[in-house]
Amino acid sequence: MPPLSSGQQGGEGRWQPLEVPWTHTNIPPQCVQPCCRPLCYEQSEHRLHKSSQMKMEEMSLSGLDNSKLEAIAQEIYADLVEDSCLGFCFEVHRAVKCGYFFLDDTDPESMKDFEIVDQPGLDIFGQVFNQWKSKECVCPNCSRSIAASRFAPHLEKCLGMGRNSSRIANRRIANSNNMNKSESDQEDNDDINDNDWSYGSEKKAKKRKSDKNPNSPRRSKSLKHKNGELSNSDPFKYNNSTGISYETLGPEELRSLLTTQCGVISEHTKKMCTRSLRCPQHTDEQRRTVRIYFLGSSAVLPEVESSLDNDSFDMTDSQALISRLQWDGSSDLSPSDSGSSKTSENQGWGLGTNSSESRKTKKKKSHLSLVGTASGLGSNKKKKPKPPAPPTPSIYDDIN
Amino acid sequence: MCKDYVYDRDIEQIAKEEQGSFEITASTSTEVSHQQYSVPGLGEKYPTWETTKPELELLGHNPRRRRIASSFTIGLRGLINLGNTCFMNCIVQALTHTPILRDFFLSDRHRCEMPSPELCLVCEMSSLFRELYSGNPSPHVPYKLLHLVWIHARHLAGYRQQDAHEFLIAALDVLHRHCKGDDAGKAASNPNHCNCIIDQIFTGGLQSDVTCQACHGVSTTIDPCWDISLDLPGSCTSFWPMSPGRESSVNGESHIPGITTLTDCLRRFTRPEHLGSSAKIKCGSCQSYQESTKQLTMNKLPVVACFHFKRFEHSAKQRRKITTYISFPLELDMTPFMASSKESRMNGQLQLPTNSGNDENKYSLFAVVNHQEPWRVATTPASSGTTRTSGSSVMMPSSPRPVLRTLDSEGYLLFYHKQVLEHESEKVKEVNTQAY
Repeated sequence: MPPLSSGQQGGEGRWQPLEVPWTHTNIPPQCVQPCCRPLCYEQSEHRLHKSSQMKMEEMSLSGLDNSKLEAIAQEIYADLVEDSCLGFCFEVHRAVKCGYFFLDDTDPESMKDFEIVDQPGLDIFGQVFNQWKSKECVCPNCSRSIAASRFAPHLEKCLGMGRNSSRIANRRIANSNNMNKSESDQEDNDDINDNDWSYGSEKKAKKRKSDKNPNSPRRSKSLKHKNGELSNSDPFKYNNSTGISYETLGPEELRSLLTTQCGVISEHTKKMCTRSLRCPQHTDEQRRTVRIYFLGSSAVLPEVESSLDNDSFDMTDSQALISRLQWDGSSDLSPSDSGSSKTSENQGWGLGTNSSESRKTKKKKSHLSLVGTASGLGSNKKKKPKPPAPPTPSIYDDIN
Repeated sequence: MCKDYVYDRDIEQIAKEEQGSFEITASTSTEVSHQQYSVPGLGEKYPTWETTKPELELLGHNPRRRRIASSFTIGLRGLINLGNTCFMNCIVQALTHTPILRDFFLSDRHRCEMPSPELCLVCEMSSLFRELYSGNPSPHVPYKLLHLVWIHARHLAGYRQQDAHEFLIAALDVLHRHCKGDDAGKAASNPNHCNCIIDQIFTGGLQSDVTCQACHGVSTTIDPCWDISLDLPGSCTSFWPMSPGRESSVNGESHIPGITTLTDCLRRFTRPEHLGSSAKIKCGSCQSYQESTKQLTMNKLPVVACFHFKRFEHSAKQRRKITTYISFPLELDMTPFMASSKESRMNGQLQLPTNSGNDENKYSLFAVVNHQEPWRVATTPASSGTTRTSGSSVMMPSSPRPVLRTLDSEGYLLFYHKQVLEHESEKVKEVNTQAY
């Protein structure tokens, strides 16, 4: 507030009353400051009497008549009113002059749209509810359009965080392997997945990259699955100890070996594969060929119900499995698949880590789908070991 | 000539500078006068906002205004449930109705310092505020928020129903980190000196005093906290170590015997607790292992206080929910629970602040999150008695006398906002809110 001169008593040197450019009715109520002094006429009279007693000896007020006293009281009253209002007036005047006086006001039309509706059957905006079923949004990860109410489960899978996500991803990789995708594409996919995990957190990125051990069997597997044969690019990655030189083996040894192991001869190393009978690296055709080569045309590929595997198969299960496999619905296989694949991990594949073994199992299943088998050779859905079902059609019947 | 008053900017600028320089020398008087807005002649340390000419023009060209008031839908908007995310929606609604946070974001105060702004959760909050205060009647789909939270708070990621309190703490943590612009590492360096908006609003200081019974030496630690977790009666631990039935109408709660109030819970939280003989600590002053008492009090009150009722008990076999009704008030005075009131607490008295006239520690309720299936939140707009409950996506006006209904609800998370914000002496930050 600007300081006020205090020369109100008497008549000299006073400010002229302010010419206010508005009437009191125009002032919006919120402009009124809360600290106005309450005034009353009696107070001004009281002041007048006091001051007259204390100061105004030279003016003998007792000689003045009532009307004069009243006039002076009126003047003091007006001064007091001005006292209180002047500061406020100055503020408003300044606001008007500087242009921000009416800033706060809302024009009535703007706010009409936003009044709250309070009627039964409608929400506060006046809409009928339950009409928002079809909201969609775009996934920031895969840029697909997803229904809003299904966004959370989609995002979980998309970011690879759910229970099934890793399995599904591996299955997809296996599929893409068998379709002869180039190695570089696969690496790119892996890198993209790395990026998802490493938003703003180098630690996680490093961890992920360290998982990608160049010597890991997974990587070497990806190399091997080119054309179903061993690729020559990184021979040192291939574990040579898994090969067997068959020249040194006698026929009996060969036979026993071929009942338990894959046995396909690698072109590069000229050794027999020592992986299991269902090793995903080689096709059953190759295995048959090897056995015929070694053991004569009567050689039969041993059935899978050896002690190595826990697998069992049922007719009904296998049919269901086949139909699903053939659809290439890699994302829809039930979790029980993974459950049983874990049991087969215990069979001593002899290579790599557990996770890679489980992946091998899955690759085998999808591999079967491409061959178009009708039997549940890979139907290791049952967790408990079961005796093999006797009248099972061999997959080789279908091949023939 | 026309005898009108003229305001010249240059002269005013000079006057302001003079006033400001005068003010510095008279610093002691401002501590006294900070309750009053300005002392005539001393200049104003915290002047009102005055528009500049370009601002005036801008405002003049855009005459449409929107006011946040209780009878308008500005600030109210539903949120779509993305699949078991109603706990997240509840916390989002509570945060967007936090008045001081709303003011911060709607005045566009966030300056992003993250290396990649599309990953900044604070930027996403900012756009969330804009969306929710736009007046748009269709519900908002907070998919980006979910995505960012899952990326930055891994432990929360996953499609399942989760705890709203856990989400709140994780969200505040990520926001706090992103305010600093650094995603990892730096955040934990010095929480006491963080100046981000989250810490300014939510961080309080919890003081823990351990008194040695032998030498009566007190060792004090002050920890920052974002919320206060309160035990409830009906839990495994006993609730009333002191005699019940004391005066608990401190905060105007309806004191019905048998009904526990929020004040009761706070009293229990801040009572001196005798640590048993199995928990002897080594006293620093007398260098011996002694029994001790421990007391928790509030050293520094946050602007927004969040109270969390520990309704979920994890016993060996199962998770149990305590459904005891706790009555909580619309207005809360935290003075008896401050560290400064500790003396009287030690003597067993509960200081009644009703006549103190000191508004510093008074709070108003503005949001309640309840855990029923699904999660629900009720928020109280400014200075009104109406509440809106929002579940997944639909906002329905509450029935008449809705205030009572909110207060009748079970209550899991309670959000209280300080009524009077003080100026901080070091900063020329102008914060002035009316009582809500």
